[in-house]
Amino acid sequence: MIKLNKLSKVYRTDEVESTALNEVSFEISQGEFVSVMGPSGCGKSTLLNILGMLDKPESGSYEFLGNEVAQLNEKGRSEVRKKNIGFIFQNFNLIDELTVFENIELPLLYNKVNSSERKKRVNELIEKIGIAHRASHFPQQLSGGQQQRVAVARALITKPPVILADEPTGNLDSSHGNEVMELLCELNEAGTTIIMVTHSAHDASYSNRIINLLDGQIVSEKKSKIVQAAV
Amino acid sequence: MFKNYIKVAFRSLKKNKVYAIINILGLALGLTVTVLVFLFITDETSYEKHWSGYDRVYRTGIKADMMGQKMDAPISPSPMANTFRTEFTDVETATRINTVNQEIMVRYQQTKVYIQKGVYADSSFFKVFDYTFVHGDPNTALKEDNAIVLTEESARKLFGDKNALGEVVNYDNRRDYIVRGIVKEPSGQAHFQFDMFMASNDIRNVWMSNNFHTYVKLKEGVDLAVFEAEMKRNFMKKIEPDVERFMKITVEEFFKQGNAFEYQLQALADIHLYSQKDWEIEQNGNIIYLFVFIGIALLVILIAGINFMNLSTARAGKRAKEVGVRKVTGASRKMLIVQFLTESVIQSFLALFLAFVLIELFLPGFNNIMETNLSLFNGHFGTTLLFAFLVTLGYGLFAGSYPAFFLSGFQPISVLKGDLTKTKSGALLRKSLVVIQFTASTILIIGMIIIFNQISFLHDKDIGFKGDQVIVVPIQTDAMTENFRNYKGIFLKNSNVLDVSRASYFPGDNPNQNMYILDGSDEQLPLWNMEVDYDFLKTLDIQLLEGRDFDREKESDSIPYFILNETAVSNLNIENAIGRRMGQIINNNGEKRYGNIIGIVKDFHIEGFNSPIRPMVLQVSNDVWFASFKIAPTDSKATISFIENEWNKLEPSHPFRYTYLDDKFGALLRQQENFGTMFLFLTILAIIISAMGLYGLASYTAEQRTKEIGIRKVLGASVRQIMQMLTKDFMKLVLISNIFAWPITYLLAKNWLSNFSYQIDMPILPYIFATIFALIIALITVSSQAYFAANSDPVNALKYE
Repeated sequence: MIKLNKLSKVYRTDEVESTALNEVSFEISQGEFVSVMGPSGCGKSTLLNILGMLDKPESGSYEFLGNEVAQLNEKGRSEVRKKNIGFIFQNFNLIDELTVFENIELPLLYNKVNSSERKKRVNELIEKIGIAHRASHFPQQLSGGQQQRVAVARALITKPPVILADEPTGNLDSSHGNEVMELLCELNEAGTTIIMVTHSAHDASYSNRIINLLDGQIVSEKKSKIVQAAV
Repeated sequence: MFKNYIKVAFRSLKKNKVYAIINILGLALGLTVTVLVFLFITDETSYEKHWSGYDRVYRTGIKADMMGQKMDAPISPSPMANTFRTEFTDVETATRINTVNQEIMVRYQQTKVYIQKGVYADSSFFKVFDYTFVHGDPNTALKEDNAIVLTEESARKLFGDKNALGEVVNYDNRRDYIVRGIVKEPSGQAHFQFDMFMASNDIRNVWMSNNFHTYVKLKEGVDLAVFEAEMKRNFMKKIEPDVERFMKITVEEFFKQGNAFEYQLQALADIHLYSQKDWEIEQNGNIIYLFVFIGIALLVILIAGINFMNLSTARAGKRAKEVGVRKVTGASRKMLIVQFLTESVIQSFLALFLAFVLIELFLPGFNNIMETNLSLFNGHFGTTLLFAFLVTLGYGLFAGSYPAFFLSGFQPISVLKGDLTKTKSGALLRKSLVVIQFTASTILIIGMIIIFNQISFLHDKDIGFKGDQVIVVPIQTDAMTENFRNYKGIFLKNSNVLDVSRASYFPGDNPNQNMYILDGSDEQLPLWNMEVDYDFLKTLDIQLLEGRDFDREKESDSIPYFILNETAVSNLNIENAIGRRMGQIINNNGEKRYGNIIGIVKDFHIEGFNSPIRPMVLQVSNDVWFASFKIAPTDSKATISFIENEWNKLEPSHPFRYTYLDDKFGALLRQQENFGTMFLFLTILAIIISAMGLYGLASYTAEQRTKEIGIRKVLGASVRQIMQMLTKDFMKLVLISNIFAWPITYLLAKNWLSNFSYQIDMPILPYIFATIFALIIALITVSSQAYFAANSDPVNALKYE
C-alpha cells in the first residue's frame, strides 16, 4: 500500500541546512499497524507529514496505493489525501468555532457529501464513539479525552484506508490514553492501516510493527512483543 | 457549504468582539462617507434636468475687456430674446427675465405678505421652463401687462385655500396685478428659485444696456457651433449703432484699441457646477468642491479598507490552526479563499446596515451645514441602494482579498505545530498599509488647517468698512425715500443711534456701471457707480485718504460731486484727481453731467472677496433705497426697537425689516465656510479610523511579542524600556508617512488656494503641527497597548507555550 524508496527531506533556512530524513526506505502493507519511534529531532514527525502528503520530500519516491505521489503539487496531494487519509494529532486540532457535530462533519463537506447523508454518517459515528450527548457542544467545553475522541471520529468519518496518528495520547492521562489506543486497535482489526508516531513504548505495544528512527535514518525494525507472542 | 462559512463567520466575530467592532465600525464609517458623498453628487449633478428639453437650453452672456476692465457676466439686453424668436430659424423659443433683488410686499385685501424672490419674465418663460400649472395656461399666463403668476406657496400665504386665479393683488403699494396662474414648485433643483412671476414684455431697442438674463431653447439637432457663430454675427451688427452713438467710435476702432467683447452661450445644465461669473442669480455650486469631496471620500474609504486588511492579516495567527485543520481535512486553497471572502463580505454588509443607521443620524446635520436637502429615502433610493450594494460588495471582496489569499496560503504542517512566526512578508505589507493610512490622514490634517487659515484670513481681512454695528433697512415707499433726509433727526435723537445714511446697494446686491469722461480727455472711463446719501462714509467707517467727504452745507443735488476709490484712481491713471472735473454720461444721447472729484477713499469690499475690487465712484443722490443705521454696541436690542417704532410711524404700510451689515457680508463667505466645516468633519473621521486601526495593530503586536517581553523582563528590562521598544517601530512609520504627506499636500493646497482672488501665503506651521499631532495620536494609541503588555507578569508570558 505504501512504499518509500530513498526518501530524503532537508530543511533550509538562510544559514542552516539540516537533513531531517536521509534516504529512508520501507514498505507498509494494507492492514498493518506500524509505530514509528525515536528520540526528539529524529525526524519521525517529518516522516509522518510526508506520508500524510502534508509535505513534499526533497528526493526519492513515495508510492501510495500504487501511484507515485512524491512530486505532486498541493492540489494533487489534497485530492489523494482527503479521500484516503485520516489524521489524529497530539493536540487534537479541533476548530474552536465549530461544534462537535460540525467538526466531525467537516471532511464530508469537503468531499461534497450531501446533507442528509452527512447527518446519517455523523450521527452513527458519534453514537459508536460514545460522544452523542456532547454533539452540540464546543471543543472548549470538553475534556481532553473527549476532544481526542472527537478528533478520532473526524479522522474516521470518510472511512479512509489509512490513519496517521502523531502522538495521539500525548496530551491524555493514562486511562483516556488507553481508550484511544483500544479504539485504534479496533479500527485496525476492521482493516484500517494505521501508522503512529509515539514516544511511548506502552502505546507502541499495541501495534504489530515498530520502526526506530535516529538522525533521519531507520536504525531498526521489529515486530512488537504482542504480535511476537501471538505468532 | 455556505451555511458552514456563515456560521463560522458569525461565531468568529463573536469570539473576537473588539476586533469585530473595530473592523465593522471602521468599514461602516467608510461606507457612510461614501453614500453621503454619492447622495451629494447625485443631487449636485441633477440641476436643471427636470425641465423638458433642458439639453437644448442655453443662457447668453457677455465676456468683455474694455479699457482694462474685465467682465464675464450672464447679462443681456432687452431686445435679445425677441431677436432670437424672430430672426433665427434654429430657435424653438427664447425668454428674458429680470430678477427683483429684494423682498416685495404684496397685498391681497387685508393680507400683507413679503415675497422674496420675484422675477419679471416675458410670455415665453413657461415655454422654456415648464413649471406645472395648477391653475391657468402656461402659454398665455404672462401675455398681458398686468399678469402675475404665483407659486402654490406664495398663493397660500396670500389666499389661504382660496383659488387665486383672476384675483387682484397689489404689488409694493405701486401697482396692481391680476393672478393669471398658480404653479407648483419645480420637481428638481435649478440655478434660480422664484416665488412670483410678473409679466414684462416691453422691448427697449438698446443693445448697450444689459439688465436682463436671456435663455434660448434650440430646436432638435441644431449644430451648436454654427448657431453660436451666426448669433455672434447677428448681435454684433445690432450693437454697432449703439457703440457709435454712445462711445463715438466704430466697432472696428473699438477692437483696434485692444478691447474685447463677445456674446456667448452657456449650456443650462452647466450653470450650477461650472458657472462662477459675475452677477449670477444665486450663488452656484462649484465643481471643484465636488472633486474635493470625492477625493476625501476616497481617502477615508482607503483608510477604512486598509484597517480591515491590516487587522485581518494581523489576526491571521489566530485562524492559522483552523486553516491547517481545514486543509488537512480536505479543503483546497480555492475553498478557503471563498470562505474568507465570504466572511469579509458578511462583515461588509453588517457595516452597510450600520452605515444606513449612521447616515440617517448624520443627514440632518449634514443638510444644515451644506445647505442641501439630501435624503436617503427619496425617489433616487433605488439607485442609491444599488450603488451602496455594489460598493459594499466590492469593498468586502477587495479588502478581504489580501487576507483571504494570505491565510489560505498557510502550509498545514507549519500551522498545526503552532509555528507561525514566518510572516515576514505579511509584516512588510502591513507596515506599508499603515504608512499609506497615516499619509492620508496627515494630508487631511494639514489641508484642514490651511483651509481654516484661508477662511479666517478672508474673515479678518480688512474689508474696508465696519459692518458689525450697522443695520441695513430697505425703504419701501417713494414718500419715505423723498423725505428721508428730513427724518434723520428723528432717529438721531436716540443717543445710541450714531449715524444714519443710505446707499443704492449693499453686499449681496449688484452694482451698476456707468461711463464717465474726464475733462480734457476723450477717453471714456467705465466706473462702478454707487449712489449714496450724506454721512455714508461715516456710517460705514470708510476711510477717506485724500480730499473731503460729501458736505450737505456746501452741495446740492443739482451739481454732482464725485468720490473715487483707490482702484479707480490707479487703474484708470487719473492723476491729481482731486479738483478735476468729470462728466457722467447720463442717457442714450450722450448727455453729460459735470462735477468735481472731491475725494479718494480707501478700497472697500462691498462685493465680497470673490471678485477683485472694482474702480468705483460714489455720488450723492436722494433716490436711494437702502437705509443704514450705525448703532452703539450697548443695548443694541433696545436701539433697534426704537428705530423700528419710529420707522413704523413713518412708513406704516410696510412692516420694518432689517439685517446686520456684517451678516449680509458673511453670507457671501458661507459657501467656503460650509466647505471648511465639511472638510473638518471628514478629517476627524479619517483620524479616528486610522487611530482605530493602529490600536488594533498595536494590540496584536504586543500579543505577538508576549514571550519576548517576558524574557526581556526576566533579564532586567524596565517597563519604560519595554514600552519604548514596542512604540519605536510605529513612530518610525508615522514619520515616514509625513515625508510623503508634505509634498502631496503642498501641491494640492497650492492648487486650491489659487481659486481665491485673495489668498494667504503658504504657511509652514500646519505641516509641522500635523506631524506632531499625528505622532501624538499614534503615541497615545500605541503606548496604551504597550503599557498594558509591559506590565503583565513575565510568568504569564513564558507559560505561553
